[in-house]
Amino acid sequence: MVAGYVPGESIVHRTRLGLKALLLLLVAVLCLASPALSPEFSVGITTATLILVVIGHVVAGLGWQRLWRAVRLMLIFLILIAAYQWWQFGPLIAWQVIAAIVATVLASNVLTSTTPVDTLLDGLAALVRPLRRFGADPERFSLTVALMLRSIPYVIGAFADVRDAARARGLERNLVARSLPVVISTVAYARATGDALAARGLGDPEPPEAR
Amino acid sequence: MRNAGNNCIVLDRAAVTVEAADPRSQETKTILAPVSLTLTEQRIAIIGANGSGKSTLLRLLNGLVLPSSGTVQVNGNSTQRDVSAVRRSVGFVFTDPLSQLVMPTPQEDIELSLRRQKLSKAERRHKATAILADYGLAHLAESSIYELSGGERQLTALATVLAVAPDILVLDEPSTLLDLRNTRLLMERLDALPQQIIMSTHNLDLAARFDRILVIDCGQLVFDGEPDRGIARYRELAG
Repeated sequence: MVAGYVPGESIVHRTRLGLKALLLLLVAVLCLASPALSPEFSVGITTATLILVVIGHVVAGLGWQRLWRAVRLMLIFLILIAAYQWWQFGPLIAWQVIAAIVATVLASNVLTSTTPVDTLLDGLAALVRPLRRFGADPERFSLTVALMLRSIPYVIGAFADVRDAARARGLERNLVARSLPVVISTVAYARATGDALAARGLGDPEPPEAR
Repeated sequence: MRNAGNNCIVLDRAAVTVEAADPRSQETKTILAPVSLTLTEQRIAIIGANGSGKSTLLRLLNGLVLPSSGTVQVNGNSTQRDVSAVRRSVGFVFTDPLSQLVMPTPQEDIELSLRRQKLSKAERRHKATAILADYGLAHLAESSIYELSGGERQLTALATVLAVAPDILVLDEPSTLLDLRNTRLLMERLDALPQQIIMSTHNLDLAARFDRILVIDCGQLVFDGEPDRGIARYRELAG
């Protein structure tokens, strides 16, 4: 859903991380705050934002397949949310909610797809640096966020693997067989990642002097 | 690398025990019985059956596992008190490179390793690119680590560890998931390294080329000496 870096030379790739982050924040604010205004205005704003985000996606050269993949992963939730919103508030609000979710997720996708993880780490570390005086560790914070992003595809993959394994054993309707192994493998993955980071000394306290 | 050919790892009655799974029980299970060793040779192999304690012994060497009793010192640094210094000296390569590569692409993973060196972003990028080129992986720099073959992944994992020039390289069965060709490729790489290498393996042909062999059985060090005799001892144990 939130994709890994795709190398490229587009204008979106070349845009500074700070500006991209600001635009992402703007997308989120427009989509989430506009319902405070009239429903028609809110729908207009959200639809326009979604169109701009899709244009950004295309300009970044990320391709329609990648866009569809991001939407497909949340399709079932979008349908459920849309059905509920339609039933409760009508089609206009249902569209506004769905467009807001899709626009925000796609905008995040554009940011992570056009920014190398290393640049993201630097940006996050810079963001947290002022909090150092309160004991925050910028490097550790940025690493944690990067690992969280890295873990999303793994967890999605674990669901797919476990579903296939359950099917192979004729247990596709067994909730325990389809969920417990995901929890176990995710915990194992977290432990392995922790070991890998520890073995490389990443996340250790800084030495007194830089080497 | 700061200390090539002059490394010294000292285990002084280092043992690893764990509490029994049943919380009502006071018993402990011994994973590794007390072992005292001084490791100075350039190439040391550890062999033994699955679950014998090889990985635990290796993990003691860079502080991934701390001894329940006794001490482990690497070039004078205790794994209990100076774990950061130990980890700067000792690089660790896991059996499964996917456990080791935590970033989406080889380029990003090597740059992550280099963050410890306080280089500028441009320097990190330049150095990572040079390291990948050195390993013949430049064309895969921006590929997803999931798209790499097993051999390419293991070479990338090795490159990420060597990027920070450790004095000692510890490898936990690095060839287990590799085919014959990739095993040979990996070993050629390892042979050319100036670092002290301590490696567990089930490949007895590889172990035979090392300077010293440790044989572990059921958590006990049962042999420490020349490769030929060590392999013969292991064959006896395996029946």
